[in-house]
Amino acid sequence: MAERSSSTNTYLLVPILLVAVLLSTAVIRGPHLVSMSGFGSAIIVAAPLTLATYSLMALAVAGRATVDLAVGPLLAFINVSVVKLNMLDIVTGPFSVFLVALGIGVLYQLLFALIIIWVRVQPIIVALSGFLALSGINLVILPRPGGVAPEWMGNWGLGTTIFSPVLLIVLIATAGWLLFTLTPFYANLRMIGYDERAAWTSGVRTNIVRIGAHVIAGLFVGLGAICYTALIASGDPTQGTTMTLAAVTALVLGGVSLTGGRGGVTGALLGAINLFLIGYVLSTFNFGAIQAFVTQMSYGIILVLSLLLTLLVPIVGRHISFISPWAAFIVLAIVVSGIMLQVATSATYLPAEGVVGAAQGDLMTRYLLIAPAEGGFGGLSLSPIQKLAFGVVAALVVLTFSAKLIMAEAPAARMGLFLYVFVVAMLILLFAVVADQSGAADFLGVGS
Amino acid sequence: MTETLQPHPRRSGRIALFPIPRSRSLIWVNLAASLIIAAIGFGLGFGQGMKAQEVILFTIISVTVLLWVLNYVVVIFETRSSDWAHEVTTSEEPRGVKAVWRANRVLIIAMALLLLVYLIITATVPEFRSVSNIIAFLVLEAILLFAFTVSGYFAHGRSAFIGLIVLVALIVISSFTIDGFLSAPNVRAILLFAAFLGIACIGQTLVALMGGLDLSIPFVIGASNIGLLFLISLGVPPFVAFGFVLIIGGIIGLVNGLLSFKLQGQALIVTLGTGFAVAGLVQILTSIGSQFSGNVFGTVPPWLSNLAAMNGTFLGMGVPPTIIIWIVLAIIVIVALRYSAYGRYIYALGGNRRSAKLIGISELKYWTLAYTLSGIFAALTGSLLLGWSGGGYIGVGDPYLFTTLAAVVIGGTSLLGGYGGYGFTVIGVLVLQILSSFLIGIGLRYEWQQFIFGLLILPMVALYGRSPHIRSQV
Repeated sequence: MAERSSSTNTYLLVPILLVAVLLSTAVIRGPHLVSMSGFGSAIIVAAPLTLATYSLMALAVAGRATVDLAVGPLLAFINVSVVKLNMLDIVTGPFSVFLVALGIGVLYQLLFALIIIWVRVQPIIVALSGFLALSGINLVILPRPGGVAPEWMGNWGLGTTIFSPVLLIVLIATAGWLLFTLTPFYANLRMIGYDERAAWTSGVRTNIVRIGAHVIAGLFVGLGAICYTALIASGDPTQGTTMTLAAVTALVLGGVSLTGGRGGVTGALLGAINLFLIGYVLSTFNFGAIQAFVTQMSYGIILVLSLLLTLLVPIVGRHISFISPWAAFIVLAIVVSGIMLQVATSATYLPAEGVVGAAQGDLMTRYLLIAPAEGGFGGLSLSPIQKLAFGVVAALVVLTFSAKLIMAEAPAARMGLFLYVFVVAMLILLFAVVADQSGAADFLGVGS
Repeated sequence: MTETLQPHPRRSGRIALFPIPRSRSLIWVNLAASLIIAAIGFGLGFGQGMKAQEVILFTIISVTVLLWVLNYVVVIFETRSSDWAHEVTTSEEPRGVKAVWRANRVLIIAMALLLLVYLIITATVPEFRSVSNIIAFLVLEAILLFAFTVSGYFAHGRSAFIGLIVLVALIVISSFTIDGFLSAPNVRAILLFAAFLGIACIGQTLVALMGGLDLSIPFVIGASNIGLLFLISLGVPPFVAFGFVLIIGGIIGLVNGLLSFKLQGQALIVTLGTGFAVAGLVQILTSIGSQFSGNVFGTVPPWLSNLAAMNGTFLGMGVPPTIIIWIVLAIIVIVALRYSAYGRYIYALGGNRRSAKLIGISELKYWTLAYTLSGIFAALTGSLLLGWSGGGYIGVGDPYLFTTLAAVVIGGTSLLGGYGGYGFTVIGVLVLQILSSFLIGIGLRYEWQQFIFGLLILPMVALYGRSPHIRSQV
């Protein structure tokens, strides 16, 4: 019982560990990340990739080794269509743009599903066909990068604040999938992904379920294309291949099984974040002219290594079955949040950049062994009584959490709502500090 | 498969290397047909002013190939028809118009669609209304009719048959609509590019036969392209550098094979990852100490240019040696897949891995060997492309990312393994290359070509590569 319930999500251990390592490295290497604009631009850059990965994830769960290689060209297709229609003054309003973007995504995926179901061709061939056709037609619609995005999208891609519409889109997509997992339809989806024949014989209407998975994937692609249009504020027909490769890499980094039946929005999100962080960390090293090659090589090596790591997970999981991904997530989140708080608060009196040439030891002492700034929470001026109250609350929280963790993890049952509340609290605390740090204190109503 | 269950002792099993029809008269008919066609080619060759010895050589080659193909087709028909004679038809078929419709609905729909497309284009594009286009249209309809009526006789090699039909149709239509399509330089160019693609596809075919995929081919091509030039510009003797690049390609393939063997079912991702890593690494290595990042400059040795350049000569003939290399490799691979133990084991493993393992075929050995060969041939393609272009460029492999896959799929090799062969892939390569030449000829740009390639793959595969309904899999 204990092993079974903890092994369902064991594949998340690798991405979680990777996020923790990469995030702390990223924060230490480039402290600018921990600021309002840092997070804001990170979210906007990572959003299209995240949504493209969601789309691949939805299809991967449906099984038959469906890796829609055409996801990048499709995203670019929606992007150039929206931009072209906007330039021709046909489709300009927010509602119609959303309608067009989601409509194209859903229609394409519907076609994909119908071909798989009734023509019965292997999905990889349909994907290949779609890849070639779409990347060709993209260049016909818009021969070179250019054009303008709809006007109302103008300030979406600025990345000066965390709470941009792009974040909202990603959150809605994530929440939508999580809500979807509560339905019986999702159970059927996983079932056909895991063993289609068994599902068929037990009366699941596999065709309907498969079409449903493709429609969901189409919605995700449409949303991703809108985020991408907001990011580059123009049309770009040439980025399809890169986006496909990045999304497939993110999918694998997130531990989603390409053979079907396993995967979720958490894994896909973690994978996309990982991929973004790899790029971010690499960009903090100044490789000069070979920057792009180093990034390419690292993508490849990390892709292969993470695949090999997923191979090790069952072996490792057998010996340390008491570690559940949730517990790992909580512990690592605390550690990383600590590092981020430290960097965010100490960066005020440190040189922001120019640490490239510094020796490793020097860097460590400078960033990790420095005493926290006086007053801990940045500009929050606390009276002694307030400090006492905070301390007591924090101690209580930690105590309750530890007790709960021990209680919950002993039979490896669900920890329930408590964990969500705790994580949210941690995140709000982080936001508060970040807001205070970047001078946008009045936004959240805290600070000096 | 069903071959082994056939009741005829004489024709049981696969068709012999040199198929000989049972009826004598058919042999003479075949011989006459191939001689007549070769004679037309003979006349055309002299008409274009080619060298005499080349024309004679090509005539001999075309007679041999045509004779073989015709005999092959005839033998297939003989076996099929004698099979049918043994079958007892008991099912009650409805008669009349309904029966005709039921038996031929796909054909009728396809012909009607073609007619519709032709009428729409003729109505909208005034330049399209010409005699040669009408002829091309009629030829297409006739070929469609022929293909549908005849392809039912082919149990195996149906995809190859359809591919051949498409190939013939393309050649006929292209030579009707494009001036100078069958001129010697154009044919040479088509064959040269087909040779590059074909050599790159050898590995993809072998891997696909075992149910794998190799997406690292384009990256290995690009990497070997700049790597070879870099080594030569460092002063390494070109022959040594050439061999070194091939060995490195083989090692990359070996790593691919080992990794994807461990990670069953994820070959797509593994090879993509190693491809990324290799391309990045080689670019880093070649751009150290150079201010032109990613671009390598140097002089290609003359023998390498001659090997692949359009005006290269082979034993005094105006054929680039790359084409000869491809033909030789193709023959070796086809024969080896068909008759050597290695080839049969690959089919066995692709068809049913578990039973192949039970009769003692080492899965790991053949899997890694296929990937190693794939790496070597990708490196060879990259090196030959260096001779063709004369300058190193990492992006030279990019078009091969999906065209290798497309050629394998169009040819009819199943990506699930166990069915197909390199002969099919050769047909696929030629179809792709001639189609692309045709599209360039009628003035379409690259992006339209890509679009049409994409749309072409689906119906081609739908004709022969359909998986069974889930009802029949339970």
